[in-house]
Amino acid sequence: MPQLGKRYFCEECGTEVLCNKPGSGELHCCEKNMQLKEAKPLPSSD
Amino acid sequence: MNTANFLSIPGSMFPEQEILVFEGTRLTYGDVLERVRRLASSLRQLGVQPGDRVAALQTNSHQYIEAYYATATLGATFVPLNYRAKLPELEYMVTAASVKVLFVGARYADSVRQLRPKFPSVQHYIAMESRQPDMLYYEDLVASGSPDIEDAEVDEGDVSILMYTSGTTSLPKGVMLTYGDFTNYVVGTVEMADGTPRGVSLLCAPLYHIAGTANIMTALWAGRKIVVLRQFDPKEWLETVQKEQVTHAFVVPTMMKQLIDHPDFSRYDLSSLQNLSYGGAPMPFPVIRKAIEMFPKTTGFVNAFGQTETTSTLTVLGPEDHRLDGPPEEVERNLKRLTSVGKPLPDVEVRVLDEENRDLPPNEIGEIVIRTPRVMKGYAGQESATAALLDPDGWLHTRDMGYVDEDGYIYLVGRKDDIIIRGGENIAPAEIEAVLHAHPAVDEAAVIGVPDVDWGQKIAAFVALRPGQSTTAEELIEFCRQRLASFKKPELIRFVDALPKNPLGKILKKELRAQFTE
Repeated sequence: MPQLGKRYFCEECGTEVLCNKPGSGELHCCEKNMQLKEAKPLPSSD
Repeated sequence: MNTANFLSIPGSMFPEQEILVFEGTRLTYGDVLERVRRLASSLRQLGVQPGDRVAALQTNSHQYIEAYYATATLGATFVPLNYRAKLPELEYMVTAASVKVLFVGARYADSVRQLRPKFPSVQHYIAMESRQPDMLYYEDLVASGSPDIEDAEVDEGDVSILMYTSGTTSLPKGVMLTYGDFTNYVVGTVEMADGTPRGVSLLCAPLYHIAGTANIMTALWAGRKIVVLRQFDPKEWLETVQKEQVTHAFVVPTMMKQLIDHPDFSRYDLSSLQNLSYGGAPMPFPVIRKAIEMFPKTTGFVNAFGQTETTSTLTVLGPEDHRLDGPPEEVERNLKRLTSVGKPLPDVEVRVLDEENRDLPPNEIGEIVIRTPRVMKGYAGQESATAALLDPDGWLHTRDMGYVDEDGYIYLVGRKDDIIIRGGENIAPAEIEAVLHAHPAVDEAAVIGVPDVDWGQKIAAFVALRPGQSTTAEELIEFCRQRLASFKKPELIRFVDALPKNPLGKILKKELRAQFTE
């Protein structure tokens, strides 16, 4: 189930989507589940 | 992604969350989003189309930030102008960028009036702080615009910000940063707001600098409240950290020194400050060492190195490398690392190349060359200058000389083309030399940066006079002050019989620099 504000990407074609309203569905692309892509927090002010 | 989404998505989801504070004004996400959309509607009514250039000449304010997001809402290009620039520099930037709409702060209204006949492309002037008789008024446009407007569809390669920076030539270069560049930076480095408190960020870097802009974009996306200072002032900075419980801040080395030198430093409660980043210029070692001693032990220091051309930060030296209270061997290691700019961010590749573009082994000095998905599109209208730095396969020659140690930490040793960085401001010696050369008594002149504990570097000029001519250092400094932004005027003048040159007649600045390091 997608989470609010998270990005998901397709391992096959590289498409990225951003969830701005979560629901109960699953994200699929190129006949596969899309994978969570996490930000790598920057230890700074910006 | 349109960078306007960095406001509109969290702004639609958490409209009640306080997100922007400036002097007496406190705004929620909902307030900011509505003001931005109303302003965008009015700008569209004025004829602003995708790709048009919208500039601002003003110190930091919440309106300035709104003006950027309104511009992005329309898919247009924002041009933040250096408010310290002198009139000829402003004239160059506004005309080179073909600015269509110009936002003007009250203190710059008279300067802009003088230049109006020289700005044929500018169709509308918008007074930002107070009404001006010959300009539209910002708050009228906000009040009269409709909030019903959607963020424009943009391509990743469309230019979102055209940011002028000093180059090696005498004219500023317009760095084209795209919607895609900022998207890569923002979504790659912070998680989106989720309605929970994400801290308070203090903005004191000017918004015409990449550090200020990057700070705004990430904080708005992450849900971190932004407290805006009009301009940096050490006492106000300390007061604001205490009053607003600031958790994150960015300063340039000159600001850091002014903070730790402030006589009332110890009277303020700075315990909320979790993260204090610095960058923009080389940090003098005595300053960071003293800062680590003076700020609360819970404050983590971060050295962030980046460029306008790379959409902000490339490498960071994190808090753990700033700790000076561990075992002696760790302290010794970290004291050396305090002179490093740290390690590359995950989306940055770094190489150190020699003059023939061959990779150098650890600890050998060469040019730092980087690749990241957020390298600039190029310099506006300067294809050859772009091609000189940006390889077809995406590697950017930073013109910074340095080396990587065996642990992967990067150390900078100077600029390949002698740019002077004074208090975070990039200054091209060629621009000052050109002014000195215009003085009737001057035969030749060379300008270099010399180490300075207050400003990182200060500007020194070597001058040889024409036979039979005379002048004074004071007169030459005043001559420059009248023709350049004040921070670009030389602070030291040395008169010499002739400048040292190589057989081809190129001035040997290395020999000039040696006179200050001996």
